[in-house]
Amino acid sequence: MSIMTYATPKALSRRSFLQSSAAAGAALAMPGAAWSQAEGQLLLWLPGGSDLFCKIHTGLLDSFSTKAGLGAASTVCGLGQDTEFTQALIGSITAGNPPDISMLWDSPVSLGAQGAFMPLDEMMKGSQIPIETWPAGLLSSCQFKGATYGLPVTAGVYSMWYNEELFEAKGIPSDRASFPKTWAELRKLSKEFTEWDGDTLKVAGFMPNRVSETMAIWSALNGGMLFDEANLKYVLDSEQNIEMMNFFVDWFEEEYKGDVNLIDRSGNFRDGYADGNTGMGPAFREGRQAGMQSGSWLMGDIYADPVPVFTRWNLAPNPYGPSGTASVSGTWPNWFVIPVGSKNAQAAFDYLSFLAVEGSVEWYQQIPDVPTNSQVKLKAPTGLVENRGQEFADDLSTFLGAQAAIVTPMWNSPVQSFGNDQVARAIEKIYTKAQPVKEALAEAQAASQAELERVLAG
Amino acid sequence: MTTASTRRMPPRKSVQTVIYHAAMLLIAGIFLLPFYWMTISAFKNNAEIFARPVTWFPDPIRWSNIAELFNRDDFPFLIQFGNSVFYAGSVALAVCFSCSLAAYSFGCLRWRWRDLVFGLTVCALLLPGIVTFLPVYLGWSRLGLNGTYWPLITPFLFGDAFFIFMLRQFYMGVPRELLDAARLDGASEFRIWWQIALPQVWTALVIVGLFAVVYTWNEFFSPLIYLQDREDFPLSVGLFTFQANRAREWSISMAGALFAALPMVVLFLLTQRLFRQGLASSSLK
Amino acid sequence: MAILAKENTAGASSPPRRLGLAGRGEARAGFLFALPWMVGLTIFTIIPLLLTFYIAQTKFQIVGAPKYVGLANYAAMWIDPAMWTSARNTMFFAVVSVPIKLVIALGLALLLNRVTALSGFYRTVFYLPFLMPAVAGSIVFMLLLTPDAGPVNIALKALGFSPPDWLLDPKAALWTIILLSLWPLGVETLVFLGGLQNIPKDVSEAADLDSPRGWHKLVWITIPLISPMILFNLVIGIIYSFQVFTQALVVGGTTGKPAEATLMYMVVLYRAAFRYFNVGYAAAMATVLFVGVLLLTLLIFRTARSWVHYEGDSR
Repeated sequence: MSIMTYATPKALSRRSFLQSSAAAGAALAMPGAAWSQAEGQLLLWLPGGSDLFCKIHTGLLDSFSTKAGLGAASTVCGLGQDTEFTQALIGSITAGNPPDISMLWDSPVSLGAQGAFMPLDEMMKGSQIPIETWPAGLLSSCQFKGATYGLPVTAGVYSMWYNEELFEAKGIPSDRASFPKTWAELRKLSKEFTEWDGDTLKVAGFMPNRVSETMAIWSALNGGMLFDEANLKYVLDSEQNIEMMNFFVDWFEEEYKGDVNLIDRSGNFRDGYADGNTGMGPAFREGRQAGMQSGSWLMGDIYADPVPVFTRWNLAPNPYGPSGTASVSGTWPNWFVIPVGSKNAQAAFDYLSFLAVEGSVEWYQQIPDVPTNSQVKLKAPTGLVENRGQEFADDLSTFLGAQAAIVTPMWNSPVQSFGNDQVARAIEKIYTKAQPVKEALAEAQAASQAELERVLAG
Repeated sequence: MTTASTRRMPPRKSVQTVIYHAAMLLIAGIFLLPFYWMTISAFKNNAEIFARPVTWFPDPIRWSNIAELFNRDDFPFLIQFGNSVFYAGSVALAVCFSCSLAAYSFGCLRWRWRDLVFGLTVCALLLPGIVTFLPVYLGWSRLGLNGTYWPLITPFLFGDAFFIFMLRQFYMGVPRELLDAARLDGASEFRIWWQIALPQVWTALVIVGLFAVVYTWNEFFSPLIYLQDREDFPLSVGLFTFQANRAREWSISMAGALFAALPMVVLFLLTQRLFRQGLASSSLK
Repeated sequence: MAILAKENTAGASSPPRRLGLAGRGEARAGFLFALPWMVGLTIFTIIPLLLTFYIAQTKFQIVGAPKYVGLANYAAMWIDPAMWTSARNTMFFAVVSVPIKLVIALGLALLLNRVTALSGFYRTVFYLPFLMPAVAGSIVFMLLLTPDAGPVNIALKALGFSPPDWLLDPKAALWTIILLSLWPLGVETLVFLGGLQNIPKDVSEAADLDSPRGWHKLVWITIPLISPMILFNLVIGIIYSFQVFTQALVVGGTTGKPAEATLMYMVVLYRAAFRYFNVGYAAAMATVLFVGVLLLTLLIFRTARSWVHYEGDSR
């Protein structure tokens, strides 16, 4: 049993090229099967992720294969997390030589709707993980016209992160219950922290959202949505969304000089990770940002390099907007699909059942992507217990569980990547003042709706 | 041709010479800066790369970066290096063989549709690659050969417009009398090519091979699309995916870039004269 | 081969017919030698070209079968703002970077065109960047041009300039990619240098740049003499610039960060095919690119008659 291999078991194509070069004449007619995955061995593909992420999955697949009496399984890690991954996967599917299972970091709906992934409904019936054990809001990110094309086995849950020590230094109560409940409160609180030194942002409070993937959460927090699944319509330029973006822009002008360049030059205030382009560390972990929205996966990475300069951080529910009424949360799931052409579909599905119920517990302990299947019994992440104690870790697990229950539907469009790119484009145009809010959203709306209709036209 | 002017250089020109060299060295410095920065960054850690004030020489020199580059699980550098060598070598061999046939035909032989076919070849040379890419990609997919080097190498077994064009220039320099004389002696056309024409252009063949190696080594689009496995990537794609996924590890990226560029630089330094000859021939009319 | 040999022996008896027969053998050989290439040209260029035109008129999502939709993909292109942005960026890139590159290359070639102890060194230095894989070159530039901590900006600030944020500033990003493309200009420089060194000695001595009338000579003698090379580099340069992909993808991803400033035509095409699985649209974009490049090439060759001097022209 391989411990961890980055190689595929299928003969390396370079090697097989050399071998078959001997039979050069006949080679062109050689069937693709010469390179394909052998039966009885599971092959799993993973997009990006840390080394730890790769090790966890390699270990899980290996232990499953041993138990199930399958041959050597293998896991291919880090094939890229953007277009290059989907493109590689689609390439392997059209070539009839796909992995047996693949993790996806983009919604399976669009490719599933085009027949690239196997519908799992038949296999789910009577299995360990029937359809009713999945939260409907999450599963909708895999469903199109009544068929389920993948499973959101775990999900990073988005909530607000904040630095308790910074709060206390300002004499602001740092318990979760006192955390702002509305955008207006958040914006007011933010001002307490934000400090400029000329054109350099020294310390920031909270920032209006600039991330396209989470815009669906913010829209839901304002009582709106980006994609209306029931009516198969994009609603990017709805009143709630225009109100939301106007709120952000207004806030941005007032507190952050209305200039994204100034902010990005001052530090990385976007997320909890070091910025690859500028080498700047995450402002939040450097103690230069009171708080931000982030996914729960950061709980696993926060003690990695660069370590935070403070010890006491906490999570709170996302505040809601002027047209919203209650907090909601959102997720970025880790989807799993079985590509059409998988040689071991049933074994692959069995692995998914194992992963959804048992495997995800171990996964969560090391990287806190929250298991989504209702049968899972969670144990707090080990790293968190070590650093913050059992009580805090248990509290956060309960909190994340509760957050997972109020997840808003997202990732559910059949043209997810396209729509997301359009939202990202609108956000950039708005924050760089290349286009006014209404116009930018209307343009994104028109483009996304047109693409949706084109794809649905059959 | 400027030897003459150098020889009769009056004394006041020595000032000009100094200015000339100062300017040239400055320009050369600008051109070399990226190489220099890449090299020193490969021997720093991340904090040192972004340290203020700028350190123009790594201290300490982190040789361990190189060891790490060769031993990383998530960046199989040596395997990808091997892939690149294999890919560039195969394409070079394929091109030398296939193009020398076609170029001989265009450069030395007279036949009916020669000018038409050669005209089409020149058109193909100017045709943007993407225009034919998608159907070819879909074709290889249907054959199930995606994810292998077949789609990347096979086309070169038939020839390549650019290299045919380049080689033809050299074949045109082969005196026709030589070939006609061989014909009179009753040599077969194949033997004439193999024993008379080919030895006349062997330097050109080496040049074409060198150019093919450089182009293939740097090729990015096709391997990006056709290959799916990190263990199969050539360096160009491997470096891209590594940088895209591990953007924070600049020193390893830089070490990777350094070792991706180094073989080409060494190859060039060893064969400069041939490179220049090739450039001259490829552009003359 | 046997047939060829027979013909040759038969021809040997009568001199006048011999040439004709040998010619026929030669013609057959010519055809056979070119055959593999003609097959390759048909399989890998001509047929795919026609198929691209066809796919451009279908809805084709990579998986499944194409479905005929007429000109819908072209209509979609017409109203796609990202396509227009990318076309604008690409055209700007080609129109600005190619001439600048040629001018700098010509300048460097003129500077290199004298014999000194360091000539070989300079030549090598200017050629080296071309050997750098584009991916590697791009990421090195990303590091060099880091706004705050990059050596370029630190140096510029020390000299009293207020440098831009390069790749992070939407207004400067496209110029930065142009800058990036200027670095590997060794090929052009060496081609020009080759041309300059082929100029007959008497002409070049008259055009000595050190003399006051040097620039005059440059414009009226040197440049016309190497105009074929300028043409060659211009055509190739523009065609390649329209296909700029690697640097744009490395620097700006599939969305042309920041704010679509680095979004190039090829990136939109790639993204359509492999991110949105809209192969029909990608094929339509490829077709438009084909037509554009074709027209441009024809235009350059047409106008070239008036400004390109070939040595054999007097004939």
